[in-house]
Amino acid sequence: MTQPLIGVDVVPLSRVRELTAPGAGPLLGRYLSAAELIASRTPDGAADEAGIAGRLAAKEAVFKLFGAVRRPVPWRGIEVLRGPGGRPGVRLSGKGAELARHAGLGPIDVSISHDAGFAIAVAAASTSHDRTASAPPNGAASGRS
Amino acid sequence: MSSAGIGSAGIDKVRDWILGRHPERTELAADVDLIESRLVDSLAFVELVYTIEDAAGVEIDFDNIDIEDFQTLATIEKAFFA
Repeated sequence: MTQPLIGVDVVPLSRVRELTAPGAGPLLGRYLSAAELIASRTPDGAADEAGIAGRLAAKEAVFKLFGAVRRPVPWRGIEVLRGPGGRPGVRLSGKGAELARHAGLGPIDVSISHDAGFAIAVAAASTSHDRTASAPPNGAASGRS
Repeated sequence: MSSAGIGSAGIDKVRDWILGRHPERTELAADVDLIESRLVDSLAFVELVYTIEDAAGVEIDFDNIDIEDFQTLATIEKAFFA
């Protein structure tokens, strides 16, 4: 028997501006993979703030599916890239893949929306594991958002 | 333990960075849980690691972090500035 899981997260675009501000250094590269960095540019080369905020929200939403308590989000191990038909797709690697495997997750779907200076994302999957006995008090690791 | 118990320049930089993000606070005791008290969320955690690296002159392997090392200013000092 499988159990459905959802994760949700919201990121204000103002947080992205902090990460992309002059003087922030290479911070953004700690959240986004090389492929994501390329996909997070507008056609004129500027940082796509809404796209980045949505991507970060989606990563945290996916992380919440893992039920990993007091662990840092493996940001670059949860890639959110444009999939078939323009829908966002999730690609896991490294710690991200390890945590998903440990959680017994099936395929993960995400949905992202932006408005009024915020991006929100929902992630959904199912697990074959029984979470009722060991459900964490909250999903975030380093943790809350 | 109070903030007066921590005096290294490195940990002062970390404390200043946290306080700079929370202008409603004027001090931060060494034993305050940074995560449980919501002073550092998951997005800011990466910045915290970056700040510690810069202050301590070390590189931290993010994939193999022990979250307990980052729980309070006291644990950060013990792990990275002792």
